Amino acid sequence: MIVVWAALAIALALVLDLGLGRFAPGATRFVDPLLLPLAAYALRRSQRSAMVVGCISGLLQDYWTEPHLFGLNGLVKTILGWALGAFGARFDLNRVGGRFAAGASLHLVGVVLDAGVRHLFGEALAPVPPWVLAVRTVLGGLLTAGVLAIVGRVAAVRGPAKVPRRRT
Amino acid sequence: MVFGQLLLIAGNAREGLVTATTRGAIGVASRPVSGVERSLSGIVVGFVHLFRDLNADEAARTKLQQEVTRLSGELDRRATLDAENERLRRLLGMREDLVPRSIGASVVTLRLTDQSRVVVIDRGSAAGVRPDMAVVAWGGAVGRVVSVERDFARVRLLTDPGSGAAGVILRTGAAGMVVGRGGGPMDMVYVPKYNDVALGDRIVTSGVDGVFPRGFGIGRVSVVGEPVGASKTIHVEPEVDERSLEDVLVLLEAKGTTLLSGGDEPPPSQP
Repeated sequence: MIVVWAALAIALALVLDLGLGRFAPGATRFVDPLLLPLAAYALRRSQRSAMVVGCISGLLQDYWTEPHLFGLNGLVKTILGWALGAFGARFDLNRVGGRFAAGASLHLVGVVLDAGVRHLFGEALAPVPPWVLAVRTVLGGLLTAGVLAIVGRVAAVRGPAKVPRRRT
Repeated sequence: MVFGQLLLIAGNAREGLVTATTRGAIGVASRPVSGVERSLSGIVVGFVHLFRDLNADEAARTKLQQEVTRLSGELDRRATLDAENERLRRLLGMREDLVPRSIGASVVTLRLTDQSRVVVIDRGSAAGVRPDMAVVAWGGAVGRVVSVERDFARVRLLTDPGSGAAGVILRTGAAGMVVGRGGGPMDMVYVPKYNDVALGDRIVTSGVDGVFPRGFGIGRVSVVGEPVGASKTIHVEPEVDERSLEDVLVLLEAKGTTLLSGGDEPPPSQP
């Protein structure tokens, strides 16, 4: 069942990502919907599940929209899942402020990691304007907090017995 | 997991079996998701068009009838001009190659981040699309096909940091290389500093890169930088608005209007 939910979450995020690219391509500069399931699994479940979800969603993103290095987004999101999963295991980030901080950090650190890996593999880099980073950080935080609030509500409706036990 | 993905990235250069297999498996697994997204998008677009068209139908029909009448006259005039154009080309020592064969494609999705700017189109190897083919749209050059699947292809846009196209300033004939800079304007580099370049000058593809035929619009000069060494850098505002791309043409061959070399004279024109 866990696998089905994870697959559904990733599929929804991919649909959102592709749809965003079709209807509001400018927004893909600021928002990465495939970071949302990663954040959800890092904060609500375990570090390992966050890494797996990050890896799969990143590879899907690579397949569809990465022209340079296949595997780049998979690697970046696996590392992000590992890092956020580790933080989520040590601190209580599952409140509004924590969710916002987690989402904001994911979107910000994701850009830096992406640029770092591209540089490592000899790709040409473009400068990222600070205002883009600022907007991306805030939007990412808001979106993550919003989506996790909805997920929390759904989980609460389904009953406390269904809320998973955290593992590190 | 991380190590495996590093190997996967490193395998890109050789396009090895593991990378190809992984890519294929992910493609098979995610194809239904894309289908769902396209269906949902189709429904949304259908609704938008329905509401928009309800009021506009009658006015549009009248306008189209007038347009058809006007274009019929224009076609007659164009036929005369074509013959005249052909005669003048021969006089100038130029030759019109076959118009590049092309196929139309619709945009599936775009990704416009600062480090990666790509458009996915709904034509792939099954339709004859191959890597390194040029992609153009109404208004000018869009990008180059970088990888192809059976039913779709990924196109690296001209504004991508890893992109480059040979360009020429239409007014002066100064040549250079136009390179992408992510979200901002493109740069035209290697332009000799003594060349006359003015704001607003139009830059088109020069055809020497072997990808784009000559004459497709790239952009207009927005900033002329101070010379550094023997050349100067020019900022170029793209001619095609990437965010509004819906349909494109994939050029199946890099042919276009070319200047004749000395030994490549056209047959003498008959009076």
